Amino acid sequence: MSTAQPPQARSSCASALARTALALYPAAWRARYGDEVRALLDDSGADLRTIAGLAWQAMPAWVWPVRHLYDRPARMRSSLATVLVAWTALAGLALVFAQLTQAQGLTPAGHPIVAWSYWVFDAAVLVSVLAMAAGGLPLWLLMMRRARREHRLRDMAYLLSPVVVPVVYLTAVLVTVRLVRHADGVGPWWFLAFIVLGFAAAAVFAAGPGLALRRLRPRGPAVTVAASAAAVAAVTMGLAGAASIVAAVGLYLWAPQYAGYHQGWPLGLYLPMVVLAGAAAAVSAARGIRAIRPAAA
Amino acid sequence: MTDRLDRWADPPLLVLASLADQPKHGYAITQDVADTMGVRLSAGTLYAVISRLESRGLIEPLESEDRRRPYRLTAAGAHALAVQSERMTQVALVARERLRVNYGWACA
Repeated sequence: MSTAQPPQARSSCASALARTALALYPAAWRARYGDEVRALLDDSGADLRTIAGLAWQAMPAWVWPVRHLYDRPARMRSSLATVLVAWTALAGLALVFAQLTQAQGLTPAGHPIVAWSYWVFDAAVLVSVLAMAAGGLPLWLLMMRRARREHRLRDMAYLLSPVVVPVVYLTAVLVTVRLVRHADGVGPWWFLAFIVLGFAAAAVFAAGPGLALRRLRPRGPAVTVAASAAAVAAVTMGLAGAASIVAAVGLYLWAPQYAGYHQGWPLGLYLPMVVLAGAAAAVSAARGIRAIRPAAA
Repeated sequence: MTDRLDRWADPPLLVLASLADQPKHGYAITQDVADTMGVRLSAGTLYAVISRLESRGLIEPLESEDRRRPYRLTAAGAHALAVQSERMTQVALVARERLRVNYGWACA
């Protein structure tokens, strides 16, 4: 065994910051290596490079977690909750895209790329919604049965949010539209308000099952099936997002006759949001899929 | 330029090479790597490497009475290190020979 003896323990602001940087790591990683890293910091001290190194290495610890550390069902549940949030954001963006383009009948003649993008978008959204329903419903029923059996009212409320929230939102929108609509429709500010309210509703829609997953901690085949389905749903919704970007760019380039589509800022806003939500969905789905496979012996 | 080239040093390989001597804890590994190989491993890099090597079964932790847990090379780790060392030796031989022929450098 090595006889390397550490020098006198040093204490400094940098060491305190380096210890704080450990909070950036996943809990399982901290539980396994946290004490050892703190001991190393005690022995060797810390400087800016140490803090930066610890902070930087936290990212791969999240993205590519070491498999001997984590609880696989917990990893799948965590990935499912994140995929659901990112997928819901993508679905909300897809709805906005469809409302502003396809629902307005915007298909510039002589530009088949836009028409193909619409077709890919429609097919991908359909497959994605079906995958999410097919994978999510058995898990949802499993959790709902358990919540009912154990009289967990809060969890039942969380689980009912994907049912209740869209109904409440659509009812509110329909009533408001009926009240404020004039000859040209509802106007841009009301439309914007519906979008903002819609994304708030989507957040609640996705947060409910996510919280229920965290509290009820289901295990078994339903979680595995849901994680697989979530991956399919994430990939296809990402494809829909990519198709919508192609169509939006096509409209921007080739449809100056349509009011508003020659302006760059909606595209500049839409594109990063789709990319961000798509990346979050893809990374989380990949983590879920990785957790399905047992660790090598 | 030499400092930049030092960054090519592969941290997992450095840790495996350090543990080929005897089991060591984190601080002892950083000291050994710095003293014998001239590379300073930060805490973040070291434990990122240790977690990956442990996950792949190339090193294993030993029991420890305090927070300084030592690690040792496994048979798989020794094999991986031997294979990589062989490759590096081959690269070094080629590099030395070409430097000698084309630049007249006589490496020590």
